[in-house]
Amino acid sequence: MAKSIIDGLFGRSPISPLQQHMSHVHSCIGELSGFMVAIHAQNWDEAERIKSVIGTKEGEADKLKKKLRLSLPSTFMMPFSRRDLLDLLLIQDSIANVTKDVSGLMINRKMTLPDEIFEDIIELTNVCIQTSEMALKAVNELDELLETAFGNRERKVVGSIISKVNDLESESDKIQHTIRTKLFPLEATLPPVDVMFYYRAVEWLGELADSAQKVGSRLEVLLAK
Amino acid sequence: MEIIANYGDILLVLAVVFGLFMAWGVGANDVANAMGTSVGSGAITIKQAIIIAVIFEFAGAVLAGGEVTATIRKGILDAALFTDSPHLLVYGMLASLLAAGMWLMIASSLGWPVSTTHSIVGAIVGFGAVGVGVDAVAWGKVGSIAMSWIVSPILAGSLAFVLFRSLQSLIIDTKNPFDNAKKYVPFYMFLVGFVISLVTIFKGLKHVGLTFDLGTSYMLAIGFGVLVALVGTIIIRRIQLDPNENEDFHFTSMERIFGVLMIITAAAMAFAHGSNDVANAIGPLAAIYGVIESGGLIGSKSVLPVWVLLVGGGGIVFGLVTYGHKVIATVGTGITQLTPSRGFAATLAAAATVVIASGTGLPVSTTQVLVGAVLGVGLARGMAALDTRMINKIFLSWLVTLPAGALMSIIFFFMLKGMFGA
Repeated sequence: MAKSIIDGLFGRSPISPLQQHMSHVHSCIGELSGFMVAIHAQNWDEAERIKSVIGTKEGEADKLKKKLRLSLPSTFMMPFSRRDLLDLLLIQDSIANVTKDVSGLMINRKMTLPDEIFEDIIELTNVCIQTSEMALKAVNELDELLETAFGNRERKVVGSIISKVNDLESESDKIQHTIRTKLFPLEATLPPVDVMFYYRAVEWLGELADSAQKVGSRLEVLLAK
Repeated sequence: MEIIANYGDILLVLAVVFGLFMAWGVGANDVANAMGTSVGSGAITIKQAIIIAVIFEFAGAVLAGGEVTATIRKGILDAALFTDSPHLLVYGMLASLLAAGMWLMIASSLGWPVSTTHSIVGAIVGFGAVGVGVDAVAWGKVGSIAMSWIVSPILAGSLAFVLFRSLQSLIIDTKNPFDNAKKYVPFYMFLVGFVISLVTIFKGLKHVGLTFDLGTSYMLAIGFGVLVALVGTIIIRRIQLDPNENEDFHFTSMERIFGVLMIITAAAMAFAHGSNDVANAIGPLAAIYGVIESGGLIGSKSVLPVWVLLVGGGGIVFGLVTYGHKVIATVGTGITQLTPSRGFAATLAAAATVVIASGTGLPVSTTQVLVGAVLGVGLARGMAALDTRMINKIFLSWLVTLPAGALMSIIFFFMLKGMFGA
């Protein structure tokens, strides 16, 4: 029996695949705090193990991304623009990508963090993870948003989550600033190439929070239509 | 005239058989679409859907099917042209029934989404224009029917949009959706009962011999609406808020209230479908009966006998029971995004549109009206993903069904003419 007209009218909702993707991304970035501790303890086996977990999770997120992209024909009528949805997906995915890059860089260079900045790096990592968690929370509101047909009430709920994402992101900026100010006087005592890559690592960590924030702001665009 | 006198009985028996065949097809195929939104939203089970459909398809056919039947019977063709050759009208209507019924079988076995309404209208216009003459077709009426095929989905879409937006602001997007649902849903129940009964009383019941004056009509409709709302309120009152089920998704309890509403709306939809689509089967039958009963007089003032409506209603129910449940069971997984609140808005809008069309005597496609209604909810940002390719498929099915129905009825018409004599 072929699909009836009414049946064929309904496409597969992209919302739960999108949420699934974001929770994969979040679990990927969540590995970073353990990774940093392992790096600092110079426990390279453990760090290597976590790195490969991150790689696997990033790959899974990638697969979900491709699958969702392919299941979104341009004939779909959705409560948001298809373009915005695909952009959101791409930004979500970039969190996992950067996580993989940071962990790769640190492990390849066997980067031992100076004690002076270690605490701050851990804090920065945790704030990034929190930012991503908050962004995940916002994305997880999408089914409630759909149920209320993007009503004002629910949009305010999501708006307040997104503003928390923004707060966390600016906190991460502050920590980055602290780290750089601490790093500068140390420059003379450390190998120059290492210093260069410390700056690079801090920059990439900052990018994680930035991407999580972008998830929030893209979501806002998506809601506004 | 001699042909009618000689073969009257056998022609009438053929008409009943073909009419039943067509009604069976409507029941087997179309009802699944009419009930699809209700089953898909999870508000009712397949078994409940069948029971509701059996009762209300039949009621709709008998109580409100008269007006569209009159259109199919004598609106599409210019009866005056058949005064000298009434048997041609009998052949033509027989041929149309057979053509539309066959086309439905062929198309649905190939999985094409076709409309019973389009098949029968195409068939009647076809034999009229080619078998008898272009003038035999009342093109003005055909034009307005064709217009209604475009207007009715748009109307249903607009109604669904407005209905859904009202649900959104009164119930869904509020602080206490559950409490507000309990408060406002009875009003929507009243609306369902009122609209359906008003149109039925105004336009349908005169065909079964009941007429009321304006005041009584309104009073009856209001009374029926209140009755529906009361019964609904009693059921709703038993639904309790379960905070546990709302943890992941804050609207689960609220949707259960809409589930009750959905049952009533499903009944309304079955009624509407019966009132409009029964005519596809029994309109031609009524025309044949009219000619044979009067001994070949065209345009005689014979009223539509109730047994003809009963044949139609019975045929639909028969199709539903023998085959339709299988089709309803194939309702797929994509449709599950249609939660009861969406299902309600779309189904009520479609039911109201179809009943109004039935009252106006316009044969519309229930399925296409429903598609319009669902798209209306989608425009109100209520649906996650609707595949608009279906709109193209619908237009394509028009392009194929109208000529196919016409061609087959022309062939059958000349065959009957050869068999029984010109």
